[in-house]
Amino acid sequence: MTLPPESRAPSATPAPPRQSSRPVDASMDLLLQVLRVPVDPDYAVVAARGDAGPRRHWALAGVALAVGALFSVAALQTTRAAPDLQSERRELITRVQAAETEQDQLRSRATVLSDDITTLRAAALGDDASSQTLQRRVNQLAPLVGDTAVHGPGVQIVVDDAAAGTDERDRVLDLDLQILANGLWQSGAEAVAVNGHRLSNLTAIRNAGDAITVDYRSLTRPYRVEAIGDPRTLPAALAESSAGAWWHDLASNRGMRFEVGPVDDLALPADPGLMLRWAKGTS
Amino acid sequence: MGEGDLVIPLIGLLAGIVVGLVLEPSIPLVLQPYLPIAIVAAMDAIFGGFRAYLEGSFSDRVFVVSFVSNVLISATIVYVGDQIGVGSQLSTGVVVVLAIRIFTNVAAIRRVLFHA
Repeated sequence: MTLPPESRAPSATPAPPRQSSRPVDASMDLLLQVLRVPVDPDYAVVAARGDAGPRRHWALAGVALAVGALFSVAALQTTRAAPDLQSERRELITRVQAAETEQDQLRSRATVLSDDITTLRAAALGDDASSQTLQRRVNQLAPLVGDTAVHGPGVQIVVDDAAAGTDERDRVLDLDLQILANGLWQSGAEAVAVNGHRLSNLTAIRNAGDAITVDYRSLTRPYRVEAIGDPRTLPAALAESSAGAWWHDLASNRGMRFEVGPVDDLALPADPGLMLRWAKGTS
Repeated sequence: MGEGDLVIPLIGLLAGIVVGLVLEPSIPLVLQPYLPIAIVAAMDAIFGGFRAYLEGSFSDRVFVVSFVSNVLISATIVYVGDQIGVGSQLSTGVVVVLAIRIFTNVAAIRRVLFHA
């Protein structure tokens, strides 16, 4: 089929490829409208009508007044709110510190009282055979569950955030300490403490804000994990456990500090928060 | 609208700033979240009006109406959003849209004023 010459004429000249004839993607319509019609179209309408009507200087002045007032009030509010926020923050920090001091006092009181309990129990049990059996069981179980201070040979592990790391992932998390503590138990540790806080089966290691807490007391870096156990086998067993693999990975890939060293005599305190709230002995 | 007409809004603006600083009106706590949004909407109306002024199509009436409606509509959108639990998202949306318009208008104003 041949086209009439006049209709073929335009296509004879090589036209540049045209994209504008394609319909605009419908989903972009809103954004395009925002970009293309930034001025209120009414300005054009009123201007096209020619007569802008009577001047309204008072209205313009009123709007200008309102704008000025809006700006200054908002600026005032923001600047006035800043010291309030500061002082609120300071007060909260003071309250937290006061609460921590009180907690320390209560804890030391709890330690004193539990020493009293031990003395009184020994006095009350007397000398007969069944009492001595009971006393032996108490002496045997108390160090095991963390109720009394213990000492003995073991290992000290110092872990810390990566030195150069500003990355969130270069920091020691509660999970890392949990894994390390569990790995130590698994490797045969008999008593474990983190920064001097003895771990029992009721101890919680968790993140609170930016700090890691053990028994709800926040720790300061570096983290010192002490474990009493056979100093010859404990480091090797830890290295072979999954916790050792985890920490080896953190140390080599993230540059975190992870130092294991044997200690001849470690002294670990008792966990003062240890008590049974609901369970009662059956005997 | 002649050059001299700029004086009135400028005087109004300065007077408003002075009034706000001197009287220190305390915004009710309920209205406080809407103040920043209202200001962004006001800025949108102002730059829109200024661009129209440069293009020679400025009209007091349109400016006043667009200013008042901008402030009210944006505050209402955020208020409704607050009531149904998407207040912060909606205020983000309002700020983004208004900021795009302000940006476009200021760019156009700059082109007219500096021919660049």
